[in-house]
Amino acid sequence: MSRAVAIVGAGPSGCYLAQALLKAEPDLAVDLIDRLPVPYGLVRYGVAPDHQGTKAVIRQFARLFERQGAQFFGNLAVDGPLLDELRANYDAVVLAAGLSADRALGIPGEDLPGVVRAGALTRALYDHPDADALPDLGRRVVLMGNGNVAIDLLRLLAKSPDELAGSDLGLAATDWLATQEIEDITIVGRSPAAAAKFDAVMVKELGKLSGVTIEVVDAGETTDPEGAKKIEALAGLSATQGGSTHITFRFGLTPIAAEGDGRVEAVRFSGPSGEETIVADSLLTAIGFEAGVEPLNRDRLITSAAEAGAGLIAPGLYATGWFRRGPRGTIPENRADAQALATRILADLAVLPDAPKPGRAVLTGRAGIVTYEGWQKIDAAETAAASADRCRRKIATRAEMLALATATKEPVE
Amino acid sequence: MMITILYGTETGNAEMLAEDIAAELEADHEVTVTNLSDFAPTDFDAGTFYLMVCSTYGDGELPASAQPFAEAMAAAGAQLLGVHFAAFGLGDSEYDDTFNGGSQRLVDLMVTHGATQIGARVIHDASGPDMAEDLAFPWASEVVALACETMGEAA
Repeated sequence: MSRAVAIVGAGPSGCYLAQALLKAEPDLAVDLIDRLPVPYGLVRYGVAPDHQGTKAVIRQFARLFERQGAQFFGNLAVDGPLLDELRANYDAVVLAAGLSADRALGIPGEDLPGVVRAGALTRALYDHPDADALPDLGRRVVLMGNGNVAIDLLRLLAKSPDELAGSDLGLAATDWLATQEIEDITIVGRSPAAAAKFDAVMVKELGKLSGVTIEVVDAGETTDPEGAKKIEALAGLSATQGGSTHITFRFGLTPIAAEGDGRVEAVRFSGPSGEETIVADSLLTAIGFEAGVEPLNRDRLITSAAEAGAGLIAPGLYATGWFRRGPRGTIPENRADAQALATRILADLAVLPDAPKPGRAVLTGRAGIVTYEGWQKIDAAETAAASADRCRRKIATRAEMLALATATKEPVE
Repeated sequence: MMITILYGTETGNAEMLAEDIAAELEADHEVTVTNLSDFAPTDFDAGTFYLMVCSTYGDGELPASAQPFAEAMAAAGAQLLGVHFAAFGLGDSEYDDTFNGGSQRLVDLMVTHGATQIGARVIHDASGPDMAEDLAFPWASEVVALACETMGEAA
């Protein structure tokens, strides 16, 4: 009888782990559990809707379920008691649930209306079923953060409707973008440009935007080759002129306070030449993610891990991806992390003295579970509903997802 | 004929395509699939036809799994006279300046070291309408036919 592995989180880390496990040992019983009724996590809800090429990894992940025998258990949130149950029934349990909460700036005024966090905004823009309503950003936006998420948001906010053709940006988000009257976006990093976390290629892509004028203030110099690529990419943006949306890159500014009477009106920074206040109708923060109020106490699990670096929390319990390492690294880094953990898990399974555990019987037939076949029905409905200039129209509510997933093929007369 | 498919990958897409191409060719040929990270310049053999499937990463660079190979080629001053290869690239035209730069770098590297390219490099665009295999399967059968003529072996 083969060993059974449960992976909590069907995002890229979980899927790459399943892939590496099944490539090495095709007979393993691998199950991917997700709290959402749909798989693929941040590939679906974090990769920007105009980066469909990046989402192409989904074709690899689909094979897990379509050819390699992995099973999907969607719409199942794993809390402490269920985790215990999984550990009792699977030979290995891996936590790959990511990090979904926005990090806070930790400054006065950040609870003011008009302060919008990147995770909350991307969930709303990307039709996540747990999203809040889309906010009104006003004319002047300060975007705090210099990672790729910040650049994604900057690009989406500055794109013209034509530039979103072929994406899967939804109707509500498309209409929202069209009604925003953003004139100025100031993107601010604490670090100098050379130490910014964004990839140079993401910055270069901004140069293709038709409706913007870009100004880069004090990008500085560096002898570090990686930093130099970033500075060079920024320098290339000064040729992007003539559009009505003004984008200004600022570096080396640390936010001190969000100020305003009942709503954000300005953001105060400290910088190399003293304090500075930038007038803003909204403050958008994209400074990373952390564990939120989740059914699993991630931080406690990771700090108490037996071998955190190797992804071992306790015998038979592992962690990978952002859940283990924190919110750093793109898809390839999480693939490498998952491959390393797969090697470790296979080595551990090979020397397990106990008989194989029963595995998926503990989950099969549970009420409300969405199977891979259920997801395929949702996927087909989304693809079929796409308008001419979109590749997909995501279903944005759990209720609709569940209705589709559990629908019988033939309508009952 | 003896065919080795060498792939350079970062997200696994090129690896999957390499395996799919192998499955297409296996009925008529002896096919091996190897990650470039597990391949040394001294492993090249004049009797084998090499299909190289390579993505692009970052700013038109080679993907991570191809980088050690490129470094080893340069360091060893590899001599690949008599080695025949063909190349298929994976890229994303969202990044138009450097679109498919990885596979072009690999072709340049092979040719610089004396290898002979069979057929033209064919490239796939992740942001385009085609599936990679719909371009790669016809490419593979065409270059394999050309290689059979050039290398003087019946399929």
